[in-house]
Amino acid sequence: MNEPTVEINGLGRRFGRLRALDDVSFSLDDGITGLLGPNGAGKTTMLRCLATVETPDTGRLRILRRDPGRVSERTEIRRRLGYLPQEPGFYPNFTAYDFLDYLAVLKELVDDGQRRREVRRVLDAVDLGDRAMTKIRKLSGGMRRRLALAQALLADPQLLILDEPTTGLDPGQRLRFRDLVSRLGEDRTVLLSTHQTEDVAALCERVIVMDRGRVLFDGPPRGLAETARGSVWLAEQRPAGGGVTWRNADGRYRTIGDPPAGAELADPTIEDGYLLLVGDAALADVA
Amino acid sequence: MSWHVDAPLLRRYLAGDTDLAAALSIEAHVSGCGACRALLPDDPAWLEDSWSGVADRVIVAQRGPMERLLVRVGVGTPSARLLAATPSLRRSWWAAVVAALAFTVAAAHAAAGDDRGLLLFLALAPLLPVAGVAVAYGPLADPVHELTVGAPMSGLRLLLIRAAAVLCTTVGLALLALPLLPALSWTAAGWLLPALALTTVSLVLGSWLSPVRASAAVTAVWLGLVALVAVPGADALMLFRAGAQAWFAALLGAAGALLLARRGSFDVGGGR
Ligand SMILES: Nc1ncnc2c1ncn2[C@@H]1O[C@H](COP(=O)(O)OP(=O)(O)O)[C@@H](O)[C@H]1O
Ligand SMILES: [Mg+2]
Repeated sequence: MNEPTVEINGLGRRFGRLRALDDVSFSLDDGITGLLGPNGAGKTTMLRCLATVETPDTGRLRILRRDPGRVSERTEIRRRLGYLPQEPGFYPNFTAYDFLDYLAVLKELVDDGQRRREVRRVLDAVDLGDRAMTKIRKLSGGMRRRLALAQALLADPQLLILDEPTTGLDPGQRLRFRDLVSRLGEDRTVLLSTHQTEDVAALCERVIVMDRGRVLFDGPPRGLAETARGSVWLAEQRPAGGGVTWRNADGRYRTIGDPPAGAELADPTIEDGYLLLVGDAALADVA
Repeated sequence: MSWHVDAPLLRRYLAGDTDLAAALSIEAHVSGCGACRALLPDDPAWLEDSWSGVADRVIVAQRGPMERLLVRVGVGTPSARLLAATPSLRRSWWAAVVAALAFTVAAAHAAAGDDRGLLLFLALAPLLPVAGVAVAYGPLADPVHELTVGAPMSGLRLLLIRAAAVLCTTVGLALLALPLLPALSWTAAGWLLPALALTTVSLVLGSWLSPVRASAAVTAVWLGLVALVAVPGADALMLFRAGAQAWFAALLGAAGALLLARRGSFDVGGGR
């Protein structure tokens, strides 16, 4: 059998007494997988390990059929990997073009002509072709996010690691992002983190829910929704007592948790499944 | 039209190998000369690509004076690109170096006749590159550090390119200040080896500590040594005479070897 693109086995990472990753195992192949979890769940730590910038304390990690613990194999991994950090950082006085040109050199595109074509290609891929000459400090927040995404596409990586790629994008940009990423996911492995269930529903064929460094769910988005079947209720009146309740668009009250009096069962969504699974942590996030 | 695009030039143009000036004049000529235009591929994709290629060479030609100078003196465009992104090579850094040098030169004049006036200059000069290197790389100094460490290019190579840029500029400025010192002797150049040795030591320490801490540690030890020789009765310039130079050369060699041995540590994250 073929070895998967990414293989994670019992991965652990501590910061002092905090377990940011606690015995995480999963493997990835071509297609788009969403890593869903509240703030502090360990998503960024997980993605940094896969991007080879963080070293796990325990467990086994194979990326693109190589061992990131060995220097020469790690370099091979990095040649085939695109990484969008949660906070990528920029040189504000560089133009968009020059920034990508710099990172293309770091990605070992040393031939001037080849680098020029590659920078053009990724600028066009994120719709920034007409902003090539603009200094980064003059780009809007959404444009910077797209510029950061563009650098992850340099050298046509087989594995894309995207840390909260949709944060800061407006609905139109989000749509274009989905279009781009779904096309990328057709013939490569994409792992993106998010705390928004809409991204997962729209884009991912698989979702991994993390909280407090552990994997709580791993499966198709529909399966995540199904975990909430039997726990989502609709009522005409605001129910008294516990659980999370909100009034939806058609004026009925939706409750997750114990059934309120006189309520009927509703079809669960991915969000329901997620909220039920991570419970207090996600609810604190909502608040 | 006084000239037409000849075959070898056209071949190079089609391959994208002409320099910017030639490419621009070919484009200008072709737009007005049907005979030459007929020689170009009748392919919209090729035309588009060729136009953006010229546009991108205009972008590159507009880069800062330092980067253009580097390319002109034979540094390849990729390395020039890496150098241009060195965070510490900013105007504020140049200003600080010049101010520090001016201060110590003035002090040397004020204390003319006393070696300790010169000592101030000699003690400061090696610390300039040490400080410059501290703010040239690492998660605090470089906003793009996270992307840099995750890139396939070796972290040590980028670090050395940046350290070399900092060393060249600071050492160059300090050398320019030398003739301004009151009494010129060979001892006045005795800071060069300590500068190289201390910078290399702080690079090595930076593989364990953060770059800023590494530089602070090196600076503290150096200032301690300087304080020892500055006491009345001691030879204030002892660290800069031939005997001590051999020790700094040995230190430089040892630190250089250790740096190579530690190169892998510059390729992983180091916090956020
Ligand atoms: N370099 C670090 N030093 C100390 N604690 C860290 C570090 N990186 C992450 N953490 C902690 O690890 C936990 C997981 O963080 P993170 O992976 O960023 O989660 P997420 O991306 O899901 O929000 C958090 O509690 C965070 O404070
Ligand atoms: Mg995060």
